[in-house]
Amino acid sequence: MTLRQKRELFYGLLFVSPWIMGMLMFVLYPVLASLYYSFCYYSVLSEPKFIGLGNYFDLFTDSVFWGSVLNTFYYAVFALPLGIAISVTLAMLLTVKVRGVTIYRTIFFLPSLLPVVALAILWLWIFNGEYGVLNFALSKLGIEGPNWLAEKNWAMPALIIMSFWGVGHMVVIYLASLQDVPQVLYEAAELDGASWWHKARHITLPMISPVIYFNLIMGIIGTLQIFAQPYIMTGGGPARATLFYTMYLYDNGFRYLRMGYASAMAWILFIIILLLTLVATRISRKYIYYEGG
Amino acid sequence: MKPKQQAAKNNLRNLWIVPFLGFGLLFTGCGGDTPVADGPVTVQYWEKWTGFEGEAMVAVVDRFNTIQNDIFVELTTVSQIDRKVLVATAGGDPPDIAGLFSFNVYNYAELNALMPLDDFIKQAGIKAEDYIPAYWRLCLAAGKVYALPTTPASIGLHWNKRMFREAGLDPERPPRTIEELDYYAKKLTVRDEVGKIVQVGFLPIWPGWWNWAWGLFFGGELWDGGDTVTPDDSRNIIAYEWVQKYSRGYGLKELQTFRSGFGNFSSPQNPFLSEQVAMVLQGVWMYNFIDMYAPDLEWGAAPFPTSSSDLYGTSICEADVLVIPSGSRHPREAFEFIKYVNTQAGMELLCMGQRKHTPLRKVSKEFLEQHPNPYIEMFIELAKNPNAKRSLAIGIWNEYDDEMRVAFDRIWLQEGTAAEILGTAKRRLQKSYDRELRRKARLLKDN
Amino acid sequence: MGVVSKKPGRSWGRLGKRGWGKASHALIHLVLLSAAMLFLFPLLWMVSTSLKPIAETMKIPPVWLYWPPQFKNFWDAVNYIPFLRYTLNTLIVCSLAIIGTVSSCSLVAYGFSRIKWPGRDIFFVVTLATMMIPFPVIMVPLYAVFRELGWIGSLKPLWAPAFFGSAFNIFLLRQFFLGIPNDLSDAARIDGCNELVIFWRIILPLCKPVLAVVTLFTFIYHWNDFLAPLIFLTKQETFTLSLGLQFYQSQHGGTQWHMLMAASVLVVAPVIVLFFFTQRTFIKGIALTGIKG
Repeated sequence: MTLRQKRELFYGLLFVSPWIMGMLMFVLYPVLASLYYSFCYYSVLSEPKFIGLGNYFDLFTDSVFWGSVLNTFYYAVFALPLGIAISVTLAMLLTVKVRGVTIYRTIFFLPSLLPVVALAILWLWIFNGEYGVLNFALSKLGIEGPNWLAEKNWAMPALIIMSFWGVGHMVVIYLASLQDVPQVLYEAAELDGASWWHKARHITLPMISPVIYFNLIMGIIGTLQIFAQPYIMTGGGPARATLFYTMYLYDNGFRYLRMGYASAMAWILFIIILLLTLVATRISRKYIYYEGG
Repeated sequence: MKPKQQAAKNNLRNLWIVPFLGFGLLFTGCGGDTPVADGPVTVQYWEKWTGFEGEAMVAVVDRFNTIQNDIFVELTTVSQIDRKVLVATAGGDPPDIAGLFSFNVYNYAELNALMPLDDFIKQAGIKAEDYIPAYWRLCLAAGKVYALPTTPASIGLHWNKRMFREAGLDPERPPRTIEELDYYAKKLTVRDEVGKIVQVGFLPIWPGWWNWAWGLFFGGELWDGGDTVTPDDSRNIIAYEWVQKYSRGYGLKELQTFRSGFGNFSSPQNPFLSEQVAMVLQGVWMYNFIDMYAPDLEWGAAPFPTSSSDLYGTSICEADVLVIPSGSRHPREAFEFIKYVNTQAGMELLCMGQRKHTPLRKVSKEFLEQHPNPYIEMFIELAKNPNAKRSLAIGIWNEYDDEMRVAFDRIWLQEGTAAEILGTAKRRLQKSYDRELRRKARLLKDN
Repeated sequence: MGVVSKKPGRSWGRLGKRGWGKASHALIHLVLLSAAMLFLFPLLWMVSTSLKPIAETMKIPPVWLYWPPQFKNFWDAVNYIPFLRYTLNTLIVCSLAIIGTVSSCSLVAYGFSRIKWPGRDIFFVVTLATMMIPFPVIMVPLYAVFRELGWIGSLKPLWAPAFFGSAFNIFLLRQFFLGIPNDLSDAARIDGCNELVIFWRIILPLCKPVLAVVTLFTFIYHWNDFLAPLIFLTKQETFTLSLGLQFYQSQHGGTQWHMLMAASVLVVAPVIVLFFFTQRTFIKGIALTGIKG
């Protein structure tokens, strides 16, 4: 190793050292420990006891576990693609109408800034069957709205609808990346007489496809871990119709004090996310356009 | 803790500073240890109450702090106290005293989260006979005492006399049997001209605080006390079939619409207080809400109806309890306070403030005479009744409670017959309980 | 990707210049306006409710403007819970987390992008992979780590890890650092500057907009974080606002709507103002990081 290489290695490691520490303490150790706990009977207050694959076997026959998996997928399958579609649409519309963009941008971002607890409780009121404002609005249209959160079939759609108010940060990210699309492309297309839809389909979408991919991955990671809103709003009810994966994990870990079981659940979630990310990457590779790549 | 472990811990504690030293940043961790000072010992006390119930406890704490100078009790209000205490205990930084619910005691004791109080109690001369048995037994786990009660509560039927009169019923005679209850409920239910429900006699789903307990009023048991949980006990099935009759009889959808118009429990829009529901199963504290939000309400309280007369007087008796979490820094001083609360004077001050009855057998005449709740003696009788029930002293109680809540929801939503749904609950809970027992046995063997 | 040289074009509104009738423009206006109304609704309702007496909060049809406005709700709300204490705690957590994230992540990102050392790229891939670990996986052992560090019961678990970097922000900053031409630092190196000086004098001043993005993301994350405070904070006096707002719901299930909403307005107002005035920097920052991956 030359002196220069040695110096570079020294500086490289020096700069990265906080993260090496952080990763060891707050990521690597916890990850490995939870892997170990997932093979243990562990109640937090006493030492973990190794029981092999017991927790995993129990999980596979736990109908509530499977229910929570289904609920979480149900939510993600609708909330994520629709959320992306809505935010892309809003961002694209905003590029058309220039005036007041700052204000629109702030408005779309607003709900992401409201405190989660307050927002969740506000939505409780919006969805109330009798005096909620949603059913009031629907009744004006001559529709008798359901008792959203109290009905098994409607509680989940209600939560999905609610999630659309959280797309603001995606809108902002799309807007930023739309600034990056070279004007010449549009000008050339306009010379060819391309319609708005054509330009959107063949220029804008391909150009921002890496950002969509980015949001998709981040969305998968985030949506599968949804916790706060249902925890506050439904507590998993009615009859576990909105019991999400992370909620059941939390219950097992911190309410029934089965940390080993909860750790096994956590690991399964990790593997699910990893697989989904791989699948998403595989599929989207075909559609993503990389500048110069 | 072994010295080696302690050293390792200290090393770990300091390790996180390393990268910052690399950049010449000085970053000192703030130590969590409080220096020992002269003067009174400060005892940390976490309690769940807010509002006037909290004030009643503050009054007791203040009294204790003034009558002696050695101990100073510092009261902190903590929400979701059961979880917080557990987490703090696991984290090695628990309060010295915690005000838990009685249904936490068994589970926490089993997990070694609580300190046994037997020695303290013996020294202090406190005896089991001093307490109403239904409340004393809440403090025990595996033959040891882990808690002492503070404010107890029994629950019973509350009914609206004005609504009874209007429906042509005798306002002074509450239903005593389930059949009577059903009959009354029917008579008290009112629909408007388009058939929309505007008033009901009784609604098992509201407010839904004891969804696991309906079997008790039919003589059902949830556990055989040994290796078997019995949510599907035949009498439980009858009880939940009865629950389902209400959702079938009035129409699920109509009831849901009616119910979503209910206001918060703690508000004048509480449907019992706003006279939308004529009868409700509630605790001794219901009087406080009536007094606060609907002082003109004409109401009465009685034992909840039962399927047969020998069960009449069945109630659930639970209490708030004081415990000393394992790892408390001042257990001796902490117990001094608990002892004070459990004197007749301290207890009556607290229970009068919270307007509940006392768990002690001995009650002063003034307490009963001055007590604002006109039915207080009825609630004491419920606690003394041999049919007084409690939540289960079983390790999987939290899960049991959750499972029964779900089963209740499903039964109410008519997803199946009570027998089927309780059967599912039984399978899940038995599996969980078996696992629990197996692991406990294994832990015992290993140790 | 020559992001730095690209001027954020103000002219992308031209996308719709030709081939667009007034009608379609009006349509876009309409869509944007109605979307904005929907997104504004929660905030407006929050403000409206914060000015009503509690008995009026559940009325149907809803009353938008109650007269006279109940400004005393704000006073009551602040006194109902230790509002100032919680605000202070939240601000402590947010500002320390921001300081920590910005300082550690920029250092680490520098080490990952501006210095060549053996193993760097592999380590970076590992870093990216940690983003996929769901919080619940590490939640339980992380608890044990904090317990060993003696942090349980204090605010440290919420902010101290930020000083060790976080994968997402390291990633953002690295992307940006890669785009800065190497000539700058090479010239400095020839002048004998060491890496720390280059980092401090040359690179940091260039990346203010990106640091703004990191700051805002960090702020919002910690401002709204619910699960971590729920688990790691045991003492009332250390609660953050997101947890503390729950106290407006009583043990018996009643909610002090008017106060909750008043408190929320107080919480959110400064944040909205902040976002409104900084969004230009913010958007620029996002565009510059080129999240495009």
